[in-house]
Amino acid sequence: MELYKYLPKTNCKECGKPTCMAFALDLLQGKVKVDDCTPLLEPKYKKQYETLKELLGAEEGIIKELKINVDTDLCDGCGICVTVCPVNARYCPPTLSGKAPDYPPEKHQLFQVKGGKCELLNLEHCRRLESEGRERECRVCETYCPREAVKIEYV
Amino acid sequence: MRKIPCSGCSLLCDDIIVRSDGIFIDEVIGACLKGKERFDQVTAKNRIVTPMIRDDSDLKKSSWDEAFKKVTKLLKNSNKPLLYGFSTVSCEAQLKGLELANLLNGFIDSNSTICQGKVLNMAKETGLTLTTISEAINKADLLIVWGANAAESIPRLFNKTLFSRGKFRMTGREIKTLVIIDPVKTASFGVMGVRDIALQINPGEDINLIKVLKEECCNPGSIASEGVAGIDNDDLKRLLLHLTGAENGIIFIGQGLLKTQSKKSVIRELLELVQMINVKQQKGRISVILIGGHYNMLGFDHVALSNYGKNHSLQFSNNQLIDTDDTIVSKIEREDFDCSIIVGTDPISHLPQELSKKLAKKPLILVDNKKSATLRIADVVLPSTITGIESEGLAFRLDHVPIELKKIVNPPSNIFSDEEILNQIIEKFKLK
Ligand code: SF4
Ligand code: SF4
Ligand code: SF4
Ligand code: SF4
Repeated sequence: MELYKYLPKTNCKECGKPTCMAFALDLLQGKVKVDDCTPLLEPKYKKQYETLKELLGAEEGIIKELKINVDTDLCDGCGICVTVCPVNARYCPPTLSGKAPDYPPEKHQLFQVKGGKCELLNLEHCRRLESEGRERECRVCETYCPREAVKIEYV
Repeated sequence: MRKIPCSGCSLLCDDIIVRSDGIFIDEVIGACLKGKERFDQVTAKNRIVTPMIRDDSDLKKSSWDEAFKKVTKLLKNSNKPLLYGFSTVSCEAQLKGLELANLLNGFIDSNSTICQGKVLNMAKETGLTLTTISEAINKADLLIVWGANAAESIPRLFNKTLFSRGKFRMTGREIKTLVIIDPVKTASFGVMGVRDIALQINPGEDINLIKVLKEECCNPGSIASEGVAGIDNDDLKRLLLHLTGAENGIIFIGQGLLKTQSKKSVIRELLELVQMINVKQQKGRISVILIGGHYNMLGFDHVALSNYGKNHSLQFSNNQLIDTDDTIVSKIEREDFDCSIIVGTDPISHLPQELSKKLAKKPLILVDNKKSATLRIADVVLPSTITGIESEGLAFRLDHVPIELKKIVNPPSNIFSDEEILNQIIEKFKLK
């Protein structure tokens, strides 16, 4: 969360978001602009404001889409992403015991391992798109993949 | 579509979904890459599809009849046959192997000798607290991986034991602490979270660490301030706190510790430490799971122990088991054999070079399903089915739970299972 670092982190809600973290996420996705955080315009945050502007550059305000990339060259099908993803945990009970979900996949299921490699199934059910609040900041698949094969991106 | 166990490694995951028409395997869902490769072996290029006999210097295709004749001849002429391998075959085949060794008055050993066999032996004196994978899934709160790159040798081990949530709670990873003790930063370190403990120990100093832990257990406050074996004092204290406070701790012992041949006592010290903690512990306990690579290495120990009373390195004479300290290594070193039967393994590439050279000098009968370095020096080659895919059988999972392997596709025509091949050798030998 590169962008979050430079926000005031006071969770004052002036921007209409519940937390600065939520604001940062929307900033990343191009849904809001730096100027929407009014406290940032105060002189004491001048430096941070400028850094944010610089970081985002011309990309500021351009709506971006969530992408989860699985690098199949790196992946060895360990199935950790299948087990840790909270959406899978909710809709595919076998993953609670670390087992492979049933087949054919449940309609919410996000990841499955097929032919020894991980496959992304239904990105639209990812918590980053469907949930509210803190859950929207989910990143566990990327964090725990031992091979660093999962990358969450906004493009 | 069927749910079957995978025989890719000793975890024997029983949740693999396979779509097949009985001839080819169309899809494998749930298995890791290693498991997938095992299923691919069915149609692999390096598959052996006919029996072969060495004629002058070349291996030539032969009929089963000719091959068995040659085997019988070699065995009739042999006084000290050596049987080795048996960790990638079913328990049924292992039983046949033992029967054959008994009949031939030979020496039989499995890959377990140079791996976990000696631990199980040692456990007779020190005791051994075992546990199962289900316990790890449902109840474990501490996982210690010692000397094993689990992420590579058993790809789904972390998935099952560390990330699973289990039956009794909704949280999984959060309440399980992972400790990895290894001299090198392996891929397994990639699953570490903030609360976990990564200990990069100096190579070969595991024993010092264990001794210090034992000492500290009896006599708190005795850790030297500079730490031990490259691990600092704070980490040591945290490790000990987890060891003595865990409700259900599991130590996975890997090849790194098992293979240290020179320092036999490492494992003994570790087992003693575990027993010490368990005696002192009121609420919880620490148990041990040995990580072996081959899918049924443990099976041999069980089959041999329950049928003949010894788990590895069995020497038969006058059709009876006799006492010996020999292992496969010492046997080959002293060249105390005149013919060998190798089943489902590739000693020529696994054993140190001077041993494999000695093994290659004597007639060698190979029972296997894929071409290997050993095939290049074999005198007779008997191709077998792939157990768990083309034939069924029993195998022991790394936590000593027996799993029934299934048959899902037919083997290539004229190929028999290891069990049938060994049985044929026995029958043909008895005839003449
Ligand atoms: S206005 Fe700025 S400081 Fe206030 S909550 Fe939003 S991002 Fe945080
Ligand atoms: S970000 Fe969270 S919800 Fe989305 S795929 Fe990854 S683990 Fe699942
Ligand atoms: S966690 Fe990573 S390596 Fe494991 S299956 Fe998922 S993408 Fe592949
Ligand atoms: S972990 Fe082992 S048993 Fe499980 S799918 Fe992978 S290779 Fe097969």
